Amino acid sequence: MNSDRMLELKFSLLRGAVAILISIGVAAIFIFTVSETPWDALYQLIISPFGNTRQMWNILERMIPLLFTGLAVCVMFSAKQFNLAAEGCVMLGAFVSALIAIYVSMPMGIHPVVAILAGAIVCGLVMLIPSLLQTKFGASVLVSTLMLNFIIQFVIQYFLVHVFADRTQGALMTERFQPTAIIPFIRFETNWGLAVGLVMVVLVSLFLYRTRWGYAIRMVGLNKEFSAYSGMKVAGVIILCQVIGGLLAGMGGGIEMLGYFDRFRWRLLPGYGWNGITIAILAKNNPILVPFAAFFLAYLSRGSMNMAIRTDMPFEMLEIIQAAIFLFFAAEHLMAKTRQKMVVKKAKQEMQSAAKGVDETC
Amino acid sequence: MRTAERTGLTLDIKDKNVVEMRGITMIYPNGIAANQMVDFSVKAGEIHALMGENGAGKSTLMKILMGMERPQEGEIFIGGEKVSLNSAHDAIAKGIGMVHQHFMLVPSLTVAENIVLGIEPKRGGFFFDEKGAVELTRQFSERYSLFVDPDAKIADIPVGMKQKVEILKALVRGAKILILDEPTAVLTARETDELFRQLTLLKEQGFTVIFISHKLAEIKQITDRMTILRSGKSMGVHVTKDTSEQEISRLMVGRDVVLTVEKTQARPTAPVLKVRGLNYTNIWGKQVLKNVSFSVRRGEILGIAGVEGNGQSDLVKVLFNFEIPDSGSVKFEDIETIGKSQAALRRLGVSYIPEDRMVYGASGMANIEENLISDRFTHRRFNTGPFFNTTAIREECNRLIGEFRVLARSRKQRVKMLSGGNIQKVVVAREFSSDPTLIIAEQPTRGIDVGATEFIRKKMVELSSEGKGILLVSADLAEVMEFADSLIVLYGGEIVAYFEDTSSLTDLEMGEYMLGLKKQSEDEIRGAVHE
Amino acid sequence: MLAQIMSSVFTTVFLASVLRITTPILFAALASAVSERAGVANIGLEGIMMIAALSGVLFSAWSQSAFIGVLGAGMMGVLVGLMMGFFYLKLGTDIILAGIAVNMLGGGGTIFFLFILTGQRGTSAAVLSRMVPALEMPFLEGIPVLGAFARQSILTYVALLCVLLVYILFYKTPLGLKIRAVGENPNAASSVGMSVNKVSYIALGLSGFLAGLGGAYMSMFAAMGFSANMVAGRGFIALAAQTMGRGEPLGTLLSSLLFGAADALSNHMQGTGLPSQLVATLPYLITIIGLSMYTWRTIKKAKRIRKRHSEPANSGEES
Repeated sequence: MNSDRMLELKFSLLRGAVAILISIGVAAIFIFTVSETPWDALYQLIISPFGNTRQMWNILERMIPLLFTGLAVCVMFSAKQFNLAAEGCVMLGAFVSALIAIYVSMPMGIHPVVAILAGAIVCGLVMLIPSLLQTKFGASVLVSTLMLNFIIQFVIQYFLVHVFADRTQGALMTERFQPTAIIPFIRFETNWGLAVGLVMVVLVSLFLYRTRWGYAIRMVGLNKEFSAYSGMKVAGVIILCQVIGGLLAGMGGGIEMLGYFDRFRWRLLPGYGWNGITIAILAKNNPILVPFAAFFLAYLSRGSMNMAIRTDMPFEMLEIIQAAIFLFFAAEHLMAKTRQKMVVKKAKQEMQSAAKGVDETC
Repeated sequence: MRTAERTGLTLDIKDKNVVEMRGITMIYPNGIAANQMVDFSVKAGEIHALMGENGAGKSTLMKILMGMERPQEGEIFIGGEKVSLNSAHDAIAKGIGMVHQHFMLVPSLTVAENIVLGIEPKRGGFFFDEKGAVELTRQFSERYSLFVDPDAKIADIPVGMKQKVEILKALVRGAKILILDEPTAVLTARETDELFRQLTLLKEQGFTVIFISHKLAEIKQITDRMTILRSGKSMGVHVTKDTSEQEISRLMVGRDVVLTVEKTQARPTAPVLKVRGLNYTNIWGKQVLKNVSFSVRRGEILGIAGVEGNGQSDLVKVLFNFEIPDSGSVKFEDIETIGKSQAALRRLGVSYIPEDRMVYGASGMANIEENLISDRFTHRRFNTGPFFNTTAIREECNRLIGEFRVLARSRKQRVKMLSGGNIQKVVVAREFSSDPTLIIAEQPTRGIDVGATEFIRKKMVELSSEGKGILLVSADLAEVMEFADSLIVLYGGEIVAYFEDTSSLTDLEMGEYMLGLKKQSEDEIRGAVHE
Repeated sequence: MLAQIMSSVFTTVFLASVLRITTPILFAALASAVSERAGVANIGLEGIMMIAALSGVLFSAWSQSAFIGVLGAGMMGVLVGLMMGFFYLKLGTDIILAGIAVNMLGGGGTIFFLFILTGQRGTSAAVLSRMVPALEMPFLEGIPVLGAFARQSILTYVALLCVLLVYILFYKTPLGLKIRAVGENPNAASSVGMSVNKVSYIALGLSGFLAGLGGAYMSMFAAMGFSANMVAGRGFIALAAQTMGRGEPLGTLLSSLLFGAADALSNHMQGTGLPSQLVATLPYLITIIGLSMYTWRTIKKAKRIRKRHSEPANSGEES
């Protein structure tokens, strides 16, 4: 690795750490102004997730859907496509997988695979809508995908109420999934979806950095004009990255549904898509960093949960921390002066050694 | 050292330094040291040239003087008084005004609105006084004989007038020291003459002018003294009339410039590109190409000359299918290419060095390797199954970096960290190495250092002698006249002249065609078609 | 059934509901226009409206004055807008990401604050907040079209007035000139010593204020108090309305009315026996379709202009 990149890496690690510390600091300020038992709240938020094995496994369990939406957003943001439909796709993928888990009979082992793939494929196809509207008509993908999220939510509500509701139940939910469709647990309530997620991390990393399609996606993200000029099919790349994003998010939805629930009962969007954006930012769109970012967010989520259960602070503290991380982590100029100092110091050293070199040759 | 005379400080006392910059060092966030311990001083009432090649640090030094960049080290004195300039606002308050190379104007606003931007006259304490703005513009315009139409929209006025608007902007804000950053780069010869007359007038009225340029003839013509910068360092102050052109160029580049590349008589063969009856109207509804027909033959460099904005860049955009023409045909080896994708063009063997290298030619945030393979990453030899063959890619890139002498720390270095010349070498390395049959080279050496320029020109000559067809579009008259085997002149979107042999052509003759004073006969122009 | 829907569309009642529903969209769309013209894409409108909706309720409950509630909501909008400006301009956070963060705050953050301030979750039902009064003009009732104005909120009139005010701001004031200059060519603005950041801050603050009024309308007139996710995508619909209106005040008004009408139509169809969930998708669906058709037409128009100019034979049809 050359020294320029070393300097960059050192600096981004430093800045990332500072951003996270600031965000937790913001949380601490809230806790100390609001809570009656601030030290306990802080303990629950930060330390308790590592309290025992069960807690730790729970973090891993919470990571599962985040891995998928994080990867989905990474792929789409790599091409600078601000597609926010990962949120809707999680719900849709989960719904389609649930239907297959209920109404189609298949042998153990194959059943969840088919159900999850079906959900993923439907989501991939749905992503054709915003991406085609954008490439053919120029409609902002940001606006259209946000609208799409609402549409997905209401359409699923319609089917849930009018077609697939289990009338024997008091609350609104589908019938029970067939046992063959359930994803087994590794330990406690953490299912094998975690392993699938980690495999996907490797596959998506290889895809983005070691294949021609991934290369094209990244190049379009860095400079669209350059990509078109070089002969890449930019519209195709824009569609491709969103379809892949849809596939991944849909897969995450299916795995979450079949790994954690026994009936479909979501009436509202689950929020994992938004978390996916936070993760992509923390991972700087690099899929190999997604597990770390997802782990961090899952840890915060478990911490917030513990805090909400055991103290007077609400769970939504998580959203405040997340927004703060979002703002500070993506702040390019945060500590710009420090960076400038590092660069100047290095440049001066080089100027001096260059001058020395000249002296020696003279 | 001069001491400040705070009282009685007037700018019309000759031989007094109105601007003095001492020991300026500026290092950009990407680590490039643009100025290293530069001293720079300008006397009141002179026209002072700031010379140097692109990348020598002229613009940076002036941005510092304008308060737009802050140096790590150094002091600035204006009229003998030490100042700290933290924004353009501070510099303007000290009587400094700058006309930037790329005009700083808002296209949808009128001339008057642009001139009063930031110091708008008000009506009733709250509302914008449009009439007042127009009146103010008229006043200044008449006082300094810089005639502009206050009500015209910037988008609708010619380049020469835009420049006057820029000068007026500075004068209205009370500038006594005017910095002009390569003001003639966009002007025709006649507009340049007019500008020089106006600058002389301003000088007579006591204004001080700092004139940034790298054109020797202009410097000799108009300036009193000059400061020469070379790779961020000052090469001293010189009195213009006592310094020979050879000496200046030696100070600028560190050796006597030899820009003649050895070149044998071209032996063109069959046409590779046939353009027939091309008409094109741009999105603003202006027809910018009118019935353009010509052919590029194998083994020749066909130059396209013309004052900028006469259809050259539109022609290139149409040829590379970024725009669709209204009518006409473009045939590459008898295959119609209009409507085909850039990918298809590249497959046919067309390569293109675009004018705007940081937008089209290269991707600054991507590394050198990623830039070098952008047109060939789908080739079988760079892929094994679904994956990249990283060994093959690495070998290809190392070969190209070596062959085209790209100076970089490694092939994984980001392109934006390279110097202009090296970025262009990356672009050229990719475009020349794709085994093209036709190369469209648009301003291939603009704004890059002499070494890279020489290298690129040599390569072009080499490729044409290997039988490739090269279409060279350049605003640098010396370049097209010296390197093109045959030459087309575009004026107002039309071909007004075609010269099959450029060797006997004079600058004067070219100038007349470029400015639309002369036009060849239909028959002579039809010679470009080669049928 | 279609006839039933159609007949209800052309009534004063329907028109009145269009006005009611358009008001918050119009506020947010104008907010978007102000920031967009200054070159800042404010996609945090949804979040600002949520935060303002809650602030309006809390301020009015605290002061027992609807006016202070609305003002508080607007000021909170200003604060959030300035905060976005701080991150975007000072710390270099991508403006889209800053917007998404604000939307997160609007989603979970409002629930958080509602809980820590009132101990309630989801709605502010137990908070004794004040409502914005309607401007009662009974004499208008019964008159076609004008009848729709008989019982509109004062804020609806404020919104319509804001269309005019934003127009004056853009085209008749020095600030407007600065905003347009900064949006179109920030380098030009900074080269004359103007502070681009200052103008962007002002635009974001104004944008926040307008979106804040939209939020206040939601919780202080359209609904009795605050509830979770009550803005339901209006901030994004407003974004589409602003795009279609090209950031021009009048165009923004017209496209806001279009989306308002779609929303009103969906409300009207709720009673017609169609499944309510499907009808609820209508405003979102129409926004996507409207936006696509608009952008498609712009592309096609550019092509057509070129074609017309290049065919002298057709030049007669030019007006």
